Order: sequence, then C-alpha cells, then structure tokens
Amino acid sequence: MSTTSQKHRDFVGEPMGDKPVTALSGIGDTLGRKLEEQGFDKASVVLGQFLLLKKDTDMFSDWLKDASGANSRQADSCAQCLREWCDAFL
Amino acid sequence: MSLSSKSAQEISELLDEYGIKHGPVVDSTRSLYEKKLKEAMAKEKRAKPSPDKTYYREEEEQVTYVYKTPVRSDSSGDSGAYMRARPEWAEREYEHETSNSRYSRSRPEYKGRDFVDEPYMYDSPDTYKHSYLKSAAPMKSSESAPKAAKSSPLIPLWVQFVFFLAMAVFLYLVFTNMETNESLKGIE
Repeated sequence: MSTTSQKHRDFVGEPMGDKPVTALSGIGDTLGRKLEEQGFDKASVVLGQFLLLKKDTDMFSDWLKDASGANSRQADSCAQCLREWCDAFL
Repeated sequence: MSLSSKSAQEISELLDEYGIKHGPVVDSTRSLYEKKLKEAMAKEKRAKPSPDKTYYREEEEQVTYVYKTPVRSDSSGDSGAYMRARPEWAEREYEHETSNSRYSRSRPEYKGRDFVDEPYMYDSPDTYKHSYLKSAAPMKSSESAPKAAKSSPLIPLWVQFVFFLAMAVFLYLVFTNMETNESLKGIE
C-alpha cells in the first residue's frame, strides 16, 4: 500500500539487529506480547518465519493473524515491512 | 485421514497437489499449511457443482433447438440437409412397411428383419434432428444470440456481481489505508 508509517520507515531503513518484535510495523504492545509468548521475541525471529514462508506476504499475513490475533491491516503492514527489509538487506 | 496426523512429507505433497506455494513444513508453519489445505479442499468440493450447472445450461439450449424443429420444418424446407434427411427417413419407414408385409408371409424372416429394423426405427428421428441442426446452425446462431441476451439475465448479472466485488475491494483498500496511519500513531 502506498502510505507507510514512520515505524515502517524506521524499520526498513536499517539492519534489524536485535530489535524487539514490537519494532515491526503493525506490531504493538499487545500483539508483541502474544508473539513473545510463542517464542517470537525478536524481530529477526519473525523474519525467520517470514523467510520460512518463502517471503510470501499473503501466507505470512495469514500466519500472523492466526498466531497473534492481528487484524488484516496489522498483518499486511508487518508483512510489507519485512518484505521491504528483505529487499533492502538480503 | 486428518491432516494433523500426516507427516511433513505428506503435507508437502498435498500442498503441491493443490498448487499451494510453500516452504518447508516445520512446526511453526505446519498449522498454517494445514489450514490452507483445508480451505483448498473445501473450495474444491464447492467448485464441483459449477461445471454441472454449465452442462445443464448447454442441454437446455439443445432442447430449445429440438422444440423448434417442427415449427421450422415448414418454412425451411428448402434447406439442403433437411431435404436429404427427409427421404432417408421416408425410405426407412418404407423398409419397415415391407418387413411388415414379409411378416405376414413368413414369421422367422420377420424376426431376422426385426433386429435390423429396430435400430433404424430409433435411429431415424436422431439423424433427422442432427442433419437439421447442422443445416440450421448458421442461421440459428444469429437468432439465438439476441434471444439469449433477452431471456437470460445471467451475463449482465455476472458482470454486475464482479463490478460490485471490485468496488467492495476498492473501498476496503481505501478503508484499510485510512486506518493504518491512525492506529500506528497510537502504537508508536
């Protein structure tokens, strides 16, 4: 989607390093906590899941909705943010 | 038979079978792939009746052709194929009559003829129709096209439905875009 948030631009602008999962666009405190409970404590672990799904943003969105209870907008935002990060740094 | 009892290898093969792009089936991706497979399986079940529907519709069209046959037979008597078909039909009837007359003479002979004759009897109306359809097809195609447009609102409805869906998707995209900025500000 054409509009991106500041959070999105911050995440895509640099290597993710050991950023927490909440640094991902679309992942707030609530979703971040749910993901951490399942072991996805770092943004890079979520990236790992994204890569396991072969960078398929639709698949990843569906997974995120199932795993964290994110809505479509949050899931799409997170998927897009990871995809652009991959385009820039992989 | 449940998906959860299958091995990762089997899940992977099933995904290939249903044309779902997938990566490795591991613990973290398995539930997602199982869900996708269930959706694909349900879709396939629902998709099955639709080809039948189109088949029935085709059949209906054929029926209308057949119904028209007697009406048209008077006006389009000059069509070549029709003319050819008719004498054939008459000939067969004649043959049947001769076999009947033979029956009066000798019974066994009639029995022998009867086997030959019976297919003719059933065959003749069919060939009559088919040859008529062939000869009338070029004329009919122009006639039936406007008729289909008038009598069946199926095509316009379908277009309307697609248009409505497209509008709904567009509005939904607009809606999601609007919300993205609002709530992300809240998160930050």
